[in-house]
Amino acid sequence: MGSDAKQLSFPPGTELVFGPQAERRQFISDRVAGVFRGWGFTEIVLPAFDSGDTFEGLSESGDENELYHLVDREGRRLTLRADFTLIAAKALAMDLRREPRQIRASYEGRVYRFAPSGHGHRVEQAQRGLEWVNASGAVYDAAVIMMARECLQSVGADDAIIVVGHAGFIHAVLGEAGRRERRLLEALDNKNPSRIRQLAQRIGLDAETGALLEALPLLTGGPEVFENARKFNLSDGAAQALSDLEALYSMLDDAGAAANLLVDLGEVRRSDYYSGFMFKVYHHAVGESLGGGGRYDRLFDRFEMDVPAVGFGFNLARLAEATSTNAYADGAPESVKASDGTDALKRIREIRTKGGSVNLVGETT
Amino acid sequence: MLRVALPTGRMMKQAIPFLESAGYAPVESLIDTRKLTVRSQCGRVEYLLVKPVDTPLYIEQGVADVGVCGKDVLMEVGADLLEPLDLGISKCRMVVAGRPELERKLDNLLSPVRVASKFPRVAQHYFRKKGVPCTVFKLSGSVEIGAVLGLSHYIVDIVETGTTLRENGLVVHEEIADCSARLAVNRAAWYAKLAEVRDLLLNLKSAVEGAKS
Repeated sequence: MGSDAKQLSFPPGTELVFGPQAERRQFISDRVAGVFRGWGFTEIVLPAFDSGDTFEGLSESGDENELYHLVDREGRRLTLRADFTLIAAKALAMDLRREPRQIRASYEGRVYRFAPSGHGHRVEQAQRGLEWVNASGAVYDAAVIMMARECLQSVGADDAIIVVGHAGFIHAVLGEAGRRERRLLEALDNKNPSRIRQLAQRIGLDAETGALLEALPLLTGGPEVFENARKFNLSDGAAQALSDLEALYSMLDDAGAAANLLVDLGEVRRSDYYSGFMFKVYHHAVGESLGGGGRYDRLFDRFEMDVPAVGFGFNLARLAEATSTNAYADGAPESVKASDGTDALKRIREIRTKGGSVNLVGETT
Repeated sequence: MLRVALPTGRMMKQAIPFLESAGYAPVESLIDTRKLTVRSQCGRVEYLLVKPVDTPLYIEQGVADVGVCGKDVLMEVGADLLEPLDLGISKCRMVVAGRPELERKLDNLLSPVRVASKFPRVAQHYFRKKGVPCTVFKLSGSVEIGAVLGLSHYIVDIVETGTTLRENGLVVHEEIADCSARLAVNRAAWYAKLAEVRDLLLNLKSAVEGAKS
């Protein structure tokens, strides 16, 4: 290796996957796709970029600088896909205008969002997810969680935790005014009780609401959380959301699907996007969420359509981190020597016809 | 076992009594040890001794499940963490300071101001939010001297008593935030190690409240 060899590199934040990691990624993607197919979902292929307004109001931080823009040859500004649900909703809205019906659609690809360097966050993130549109009712909510659990089991990440919350609960507790208080939402998102108390007082929320907000960080846990929340004086809206979430929990429990299921009433992140239950997936070996989803019945409003919908997605890189290494040990491939020429090809046909895997090796290996 | 990141130095010294009275006393002195990891006597936690400015990253990446961090460092690093407890130690204020004659409303400034700071991200963010154009210089040494020698109009720094500022003829123009040591928690650990994290949080909370009364 000469010292004047040309430096080869990609920009920071891009994702490059090689060798065993690539193999693992493929395995995970196949397994998750298999689960989605098993539930009757059909793959859709979505554009990699669109006009910027598709992604308006997307960012968790409210910072539109997270988007990547490019300009086409006619001077139009385009935005790289920053989220699948928004672009899928637009595509499905086009389809639904043609023929209203229930649609089960799944997708895989990358989204692009700016991430400051130094935190190990990627700009390019591979996702696989699904959208279930015209799906109304708690059974669909429970089904989505069962599906997510099945995906986790299929890749050997059974011990991942699914955390459910409810956008309607936090909306009702905060009220219209509270929902506009960015700093309060931030304090809730950071589960910082002293800051929540300080801001609730400053904004002038009543003492009871303040006490409930301050208690939210600790309203995380098993089904006892429902009981603990009822110790507070809840508005009708908050009580309704709580009952809905409890009904969802019981439904999953009765269906034998409540293992590693937690409740978090203090979840506020992207609560604007969701209208009902929402969930996130965590694993002890991975610092960040593996994925999540929920119900967004108002999402199609932007296309002047009334379409209840649920959906979720996995971040494939993080899901791979949570997967136990031996989960994808398939049968070892049979080696065939390239130097055997036609005989090698014949042997490969035999093996492949029986569904086996082959490893065609050259002279040098 | 929970992995707890502790920032070596003064903040850790102040935090140790809380950890001890909460029932998580280390097996050996965290101050004298040359080790990078030390377990607690109870065997429930392992302390990771790291540089203060690195603690948020260790926690955010999940290398540590929880940790003790200064709010100033949390603000500067901008890590995505939970912050469920204020330990009430290492208290200070993050401020905009400068020479007294510069005392005019920052909101009225139209020409770019020069700001020196050990917290360039905090400074940039604060001035941008006010709509004041600024150039930020990152300093590692004494920041006050930046304003005294005329490198910058203002400095953004943490102050405890304000003595250093006064001695250098500087005054506080605006307050950005109250800072203190916080218990910071990794988002995944909050759920995946719920019981252990909850125990540590509640035990530390009692220790902090006990110290106040």
